[in-house]
Amino acid sequence: MSGWPFKRTPPPGSLGGDQDADIDEELEFHLELRTRELMDEGLDRDTARREAEMQFGDAREVARRIKRERRRGGAGRMMMNVLGELRGDLGYAFRTFRRNPGFAGIAALTLAVAIAGNTAVFSVLDSAILRALPFENASELVFLNGYHLQNGERAIRYASVPEFTDWRERSRGVSSMAGVRPAGVTLRGGGGAERAEAEVVSQDYFSILGGTTPLGRTFTPEEYEVPDAHPVVVLSHSLWVRSFGSDPGVVGRSVLVNERTVEVIGVMAADFAGVSLDVDLWIPMGMMSLVGSADLLDTRGTRFLPVIGRLASGVSVEDAQRELDAIAGDLQDLYPDINRDRFVEVETFRDGYLGSTGRLLWVLFGAGGFLLLIAAANVANLLLVRADARVRELTVRRAVGADSGRVARLLLTESIALAAIGGAFGLVLAAWGLRVLTPLIPHGVLPGYAEPVLSVRAFLFALVSLTVVGVLAGLAPALSSARRDLTTSLRAGGRGMTGGRARTQQIFVITQVGLALLLLVGAGLLTRSFRAQLAVDPGLEMDGVHVFSVQPSRESVPDADGLRVFTDELLRTVAEVPGVRSVAASSDFPLRGGSSGAYVFRPDDPETRIRYHRHSVSPGYFENLGVELRSGRFIEASDNQQARPVAVVTQAFVERVLPDASNGVGRSIYVGDPSDPANLAEIVGVVENIRYRNLTQDMMEESNSPDVFFSIHQVPARFLEISFRTDAGVAPNPEAIRTAVQRMDPSIPAPSLTTLEELYHAQTATPRFAAFLMGLFSGLALLLACVGIYGVLSHSVGRRGPEIALRRALGAQAADVARSVVWDGARLAGVGLVIGGIGALLSGRVLESLLFNVESTDPMTFAVVASALLLVATLAAAVPAWHASRKAPADVLGGE
Amino acid sequence: MSGSDLFTGTLDLLILRTVVRVGPVHGYAIGKAIRAGSDEVLSIEESALYPALHRLERKGLLDSAWGQTDTGRRAKFYRVTPRGLTLLEAETRRWIEFSGAVGLILDVDG
Repeated sequence: MSGWPFKRTPPPGSLGGDQDADIDEELEFHLELRTRELMDEGLDRDTARREAEMQFGDAREVARRIKRERRRGGAGRMMMNVLGELRGDLGYAFRTFRRNPGFAGIAALTLAVAIAGNTAVFSVLDSAILRALPFENASELVFLNGYHLQNGERAIRYASVPEFTDWRERSRGVSSMAGVRPAGVTLRGGGGAERAEAEVVSQDYFSILGGTTPLGRTFTPEEYEVPDAHPVVVLSHSLWVRSFGSDPGVVGRSVLVNERTVEVIGVMAADFAGVSLDVDLWIPMGMMSLVGSADLLDTRGTRFLPVIGRLASGVSVEDAQRELDAIAGDLQDLYPDINRDRFVEVETFRDGYLGSTGRLLWVLFGAGGFLLLIAAANVANLLLVRADARVRELTVRRAVGADSGRVARLLLTESIALAAIGGAFGLVLAAWGLRVLTPLIPHGVLPGYAEPVLSVRAFLFALVSLTVVGVLAGLAPALSSARRDLTTSLRAGGRGMTGGRARTQQIFVITQVGLALLLLVGAGLLTRSFRAQLAVDPGLEMDGVHVFSVQPSRESVPDADGLRVFTDELLRTVAEVPGVRSVAASSDFPLRGGSSGAYVFRPDDPETRIRYHRHSVSPGYFENLGVELRSGRFIEASDNQQARPVAVVTQAFVERVLPDASNGVGRSIYVGDPSDPANLAEIVGVVENIRYRNLTQDMMEESNSPDVFFSIHQVPARFLEISFRTDAGVAPNPEAIRTAVQRMDPSIPAPSLTTLEELYHAQTATPRFAAFLMGLFSGLALLLACVGIYGVLSHSVGRRGPEIALRRALGAQAADVARSVVWDGARLAGVGLVIGGIGALLSGRVLESLLFNVESTDPMTFAVVASALLLVATLAAAVPAWHASRKAPADVLGGE
Repeated sequence: MSGSDLFTGTLDLLILRTVVRVGPVHGYAIGKAIRAGSDEVLSIEESALYPALHRLERKGLLDSAWGQTDTGRRAKFYRVTPRGLTLLEAETRRWIEFSGAVGLILDVDG
């Protein structure tokens, strides 16, 4: 061949057209030469050419490829390299998984469970809390809670209407305020009668919350201000759809709210939900008489109104608080009696809107995060063990030119691929879990707009968490493999688990145990709190009591006498229904809400006002509910209009109001204005405390008003709760009851029955749910931690085979060997417990607001949980210990 | 490192070595030389050879120029650059190390 005096070809990429033609020519030259060679061997030109082309492969394709690569230049090459690498690594990873399905399966399953838990909690968190509150500029919204201090604690009493007006007029920091009073009402007019949630609101309510009315309008200033002049209501979107069939002609229709005629003047937009959860309709302040006494509007001392507000621009919550402290001080000076010790707290909307639900959700989210870390640690340990087994394969890669980074990338790709598989299953598991568990979420825990489904955000969250987990899990094995010294590891026969790696495994296990302890303590505390609530004696016999509510219309029963007659007839009617054993009527019912409050006065101290909850009950009420009588008697049929006014009180009432009385029976109190002798009632009986409002209330606490019971014949009630017991073994017949009631008075809507047990269950539903979920998470954590301990110990036993054999040969007993392995496991767990325990003590405060009657540092919970964990960990160590003890010295030494 | 990576690395070495041995030469001759030099054991597919040549040229390990063959045909000739020579030496050493390790492994498992 000639030398090299030819002109240089231009650098690649400069002359596109020429270069392409050159490539074609070069390949053509090759084909020519091959054809010539084949012709020399005897083939004719055409055959030779065909043969040459066939041997070459697809020449055009090759030419194209070369041109493409040339054009792409440097960056493209690198990209293609990286992508090519990635594809290769992924393929390799999957082949590895197929070859070791057990390892891959466990790792993927572990990750799937953890990712499922996390994603599910995140979905709920996202739908309830993280997304913006459904109000414009929600960060400027606040609650203004009127309170006074009792025994150092804030007792929230809200505001009276005149007080609210003062706040509103005097405050600059809160640019607008509105009163919002929730109330349950009977609504008639949609498709029958139903119970609905209403809010009585003042002017500015809709503008503060940014609600729009696609149909009709909201209220005019007159409708807010002038009492009883304009009976109008606004419906919520969901009520409109549910009960009015989305009828656009609903505006202008008349409906009955609490048996009074009102006109529908508007329907709110679908995304407007009100301040209380699940509001159905809004009533203007002027129509307060629909749900309560009209003089609620002017009495400064009657406090009942929650207030919302919008901060002026640039004003912080702290600024507003300071201003309102000053205003409260002014009012205290102006009205020294009524406003004594009355203050206002400014609370952000976000805090007040969700209450303890938010706290609970964040705690669960944290628990899920811990579970994920534990799972990641398990997978990391698994990968470390496998990396050990793959020393040879990795060494080959290093020798062939893969640098440390390359090997690390390969291992990370594997762990992320594992995480991806786990994540895919986890998402399916999460979707299923949400569908199964969402109906179990107790009513009232989540706001109405929250729909915990697997949203796009939840999906992205799962993606991010699985990547993080994959990287975390793969980091340790990747780093340690990358740094290995090849020759030493090969010479050691590939069994070298260097000290560093073993220590890493131990650290992982200790971390797992610590985190598991944290979760278990949390679950333990929540469980104790829940059981403490169950242990509270509600003062009633729970089972077998059914209840429904009835409110006769003013048309059919216009006055108090009519009410007495009606009540008696109703009781008779229900008593006659087959199966009903005993029936009673009352103005409200335990755990149903609705008690009204008033003030009593001691005759010897008519200046001191003592707040109490009033109830009107029929004879047989206490007996029906199984309330215990402490002294005196229950309400009887003889306590009627003609007889003197009587009252039955609870033990707490006696202890708090009549501390000097031996038992209270025979004492008289004023149940209203002390200047009116008709208000003097004699106490004829004292009963055990009944928990009317909720289970966690402290009966002796100041803010918890005690209960006084009147005879329903002396103090009739329009809103009636009818409670009854059936004969033994007989289930109530709701149809029969309904028919009987409606036959008696057709204007009464069909009552719906519930039982005292259901009400009680609803009360305990949230703590039960919280304890259940935490228990679930911590159970999983415990399981994973045990798997971790088992894995590490069994690997270490396998690795230390020769050492064990040696010890056996030197005289150690099988039991000694087993014991030392168990001791290793216990030691690891012990360290984890100590670290976890300290962590739990420090972080316990997070749970405090969710706990009832349990301290966050409750020693018994800690002790029980720690012992259980230690025991389980020891058991996990038992299997490898047993294996170790079975190793006969000869086997192990011989095999080396 | 996937199979193809391993292969391309080796192919590059073979090409460089051959071009060094045979002197400035066109692609066809390189293919023949490798076959001959390995006692007919290694046979390079054209669809791998030509892209490899262009790749090496892009990397600056080979130089090319158009010239004329003995028979008067126009052909593209390649020669090794100094950089290519350096790399060839380094990679050859690594290859020896690698094959030694492989040998070790094959021995132990066998």
